[in-house]
Amino acid sequence: MSYELVAGLETHIELSTKTKIFCQCTTEFGGEPNTHCCPICMGMPGTLPKLNKKVVEYAVKAGLATNCKIRNISKMDRKNYTYPDLPKAYQISQFDKPICYEGFIKLSSGKNIRINRIHIEEDAGKLIHERGDTYIDYNRGGVPLIEIVTEPDFRSIDEVHEYLEKLRLIMKYIGVSDVKMQEGSLRCDVNISARKKGEEEFGTRTEIKNMNSLNFIAKAMEYEFGRHVDILESGGKIEQETRRYDSALNITESMRGKEDADDYRYFRDPDLVNIIVSEEEIKKLKDELPQLPDEKLDIFINEYGLPKDDAELLIKYKKIAEYFEEASKDIKNKKLISNYILSQIFRRMPTDSDKEECSISLPPEYLKELISLLENKKINSSMASNALEKMLDTGKPVSEFISQKDMQGIDEDTLREICMRAVTENKDAVDSYLGGKEKAFGSIIGYIMKETKGKADPQKAGEIVREIIKSF
Amino acid sequence: MHGYRAAIKRSSYKIEVGERMLTKEEVLRIAKIAKLSVKDDEVEQLIKDMSTIIDYADAINSVVEDSELEFDDINNIANAFNEDIVLESYDRDEILKNREGGEKGYFVVRKSLRG
Repeated sequence: MSYELVAGLETHIELSTKTKIFCQCTTEFGGEPNTHCCPICMGMPGTLPKLNKKVVEYAVKAGLATNCKIRNISKMDRKNYTYPDLPKAYQISQFDKPICYEGFIKLSSGKNIRINRIHIEEDAGKLIHERGDTYIDYNRGGVPLIEIVTEPDFRSIDEVHEYLEKLRLIMKYIGVSDVKMQEGSLRCDVNISARKKGEEEFGTRTEIKNMNSLNFIAKAMEYEFGRHVDILESGGKIEQETRRYDSALNITESMRGKEDADDYRYFRDPDLVNIIVSEEEIKKLKDELPQLPDEKLDIFINEYGLPKDDAELLIKYKKIAEYFEEASKDIKNKKLISNYILSQIFRRMPTDSDKEECSISLPPEYLKELISLLENKKINSSMASNALEKMLDTGKPVSEFISQKDMQGIDEDTLREICMRAVTENKDAVDSYLGGKEKAFGSIIGYIMKETKGKADPQKAGEIVREIIKSF
Repeated sequence: MHGYRAAIKRSSYKIEVGERMLTKEEVLRIAKIAKLSVKDDEVEQLIKDMSTIIDYADAINSVVEDSELEFDDINNIANAFNEDIVLESYDRDEILKNREGGEKGYFVVRKSLRG
């Protein structure tokens, strides 16, 4: 019997505001333990939280970029639970009136993953368990988060993977989060169940908590789905429960069952006033949104004529995409620019974070200048590559490495003359070529390139040589 | 749905006290979640007491149900915001002043698993 996976995601994304959600302590990552704290984020009695305006703006932007509706009036609620990561014994979150609701993200297959809601909340402190003790660092406590909750629309791990990549890219493009998974600024809870193919009703689900790597999420889901299928196949029943993924053992294990289900006793936080976002403010924030990755992809493929894979590589890094756009302005053959970026220039940025930062010192205008010389046949491609290497080394423009004279290229009469000489002075090669040895042709072109110090366009030279040989 | 609203909505919106009694199972489950041990001879009284409380909540709920008052707050103000400008945090010694034990700038508690 074959089974189908059904999954939904809750994704926490740390917002890249400078300050915490309810006080003005810094949100900077790292720092000595408990040095980014004040009486408000420590939950001292008598303190009053006040919402960071940027948090509201960022949450609304995140909602707009994921096709959500925005609630004009929302409020903050208290979610009560007792655990050392939370000094107040409650987390300030949003319960029944999340700021964004009913959105979606479209996958490449055309399928929409529906977003149920996006709400604002505060992060908890960081716990380090050691030798039976728990060490607490509250620097992260009060860092603003948005939680993005999908409907149970995923039917495969690939869909989850694509959704998360897209979500990450969108958040990066709109600048509300740096979404560094290794720093925990994107964390996921996965709700997963299995049902027989063709069945309508969902199976009993389990929830895997708090994973911060795409790789772990995939592995955990694979394990958990297999576990469900095994239990169902052997006639057992799935317990509704919360589980955690142990990456060392590659298994999921039970954290708590349904009977111990959290009862968070949500109620409105009386310390915080209503959040009102007017239609004008929503429009203003919408106008501030940059072009989103999907729109860019569409333009790169359909207007610029880039192959899909190349376009995807370019938009994967916002700064690279922008570099490409700058460099290819007024250039007709945009694929030429893209090719140089994806090969020679990418070699200078070996790691993901290099590409993320677009860590080269060459301004895009210089690349444009070089490519327009190539496009107008002033220089040939090997000259362009050589010059580009030197330009990347120094960050200097092409004029530093190719003289004005060399940029002139070679006029056709001169080239024809040299080609004629190449044919008469390389009789043997011409004979071998006529005798069917394609390779010999290369040595004729080689002679021309040598004579012209690499300035000739080898393709053009080849055409002329063929013409001359034919006329013999 | 979690929390008080769920608890309130579970019973119908009637004002008469004692309209719907909690079951023994419900009381025992709530006790379990609250980590309270309940003796057998206490259950009957708890059913009565807790049903009264739920009914009282129902009465309140019937007044505020789904109206504009959902967003009512005492001060009737909105949008009190901080600007996103970093101010100096507290000195760590001040923050850690009330801790018991602890080392290297951390608060330390005995390990506890959530759940």
